[in-house]
Amino acid sequence: MFLTVNGEKYEHGGDGAVSALLAELGATPEHTAVTVNGDLVFSKQWKDFKLNDGDTVEVLTFVGGG
Amino acid sequence: MLKLGNVEFKSRLILGTGKFSDTETMIKAIEASGTELVTVALRRFNREKPSDDLCAPLAKLKNVRLMPNTSGAMNAKEAVRAAQLGRELSGSPFVKVEIHPNPHHLMPDAIETYLAAKELAADGFIVLPYIPADPVLAKKLEDVGCAAVMPLGAAIGSGGGLSTADMIRLIIRDSNIPVIVDAGLRAPSEAARAMEMGCDAVLVNSAIAAAKDPVAMARAFALGVETGYAARLAGLMPKSDIAVATSPLTSFLK
Repeated sequence: MFLTVNGEKYEHGGDGAVSALLAELGATPEHTAVTVNGDLVFSKQWKDFKLNDGDTVEVLTFVGGG
Repeated sequence: MLKLGNVEFKSRLILGTGKFSDTETMIKAIEASGTELVTVALRRFNREKPSDDLCAPLAKLKNVRLMPNTSGAMNAKEAVRAAQLGRELSGSPFVKVEIHPNPHHLMPDAIETYLAAKELAADGFIVLPYIPADPVLAKKLEDVGCAAVMPLGAAIGSGGGLSTADMIRLIIRDSNIPVIVDAGLRAPSEAARAMEMGCDAVLVNSAIAAAKDPVAMARAFALGVETGYAARLAGLMPKSDIAVATSPLTSFLK
């Protein structure tokens, strides 16, 4: 499945669940927020929310900021 | 106690977490400052540098709440989305609304900030907007349910000090919500002055993070804030245009 993840083309080899993508990326789920095609996907939905080919995914975390 | 929304804080110093040379220094500075509220920013997860993630080190701090900011947002719509993501990630209802589309001066967009703050306050956020030092705007933000207003002292990261002091005085005079100077401060004496003037808190980032010794400067700002607030409670003496003698001017030497 081909996705756009954080602005770059990305081939996902898992089952298409958001949680599977995060595991593949090595992101810590509790430190991560996700949008799919611009919409916030809550963490409790990650196991069931299935991505589709061509989806745009943003995987976000906290960094230092004022 | 400083009250923001329904939350009370003993410390009147809020810290930004940007620009620190490393995470360990940032954590030590937060501890030295005694702050109970720190701002954080949202960014894309970096697979090459997962160590940039601040969630884990910040979660270890006790009694420190997170206030995600909306930096990077160019308009109200983007700020609202950033705030929702920040709330999802932090579990914190606090949000610092900042919308500054021009990277040269980083001045807040008053109109978009107002629109975002109004929507987020209605959605249950504890909203602290970063604003130009404008008493009219400040009052309107109070009216739409903001928990505080955060007028700038000078441009972000400039160290220009309390250049907007006169306008901030006008904001304080009319405000029924806390007034927090955010941005521009360089020296703890400026934080003390802001507190003496009647500000309820100050938000400091660059002045601490870019100091030669950030941890020591964090402590110095804590003392500055504490001193200024104590002085305000003590009540400054009235000013006089002429000298008022402190010793009796008796004429026994004649």
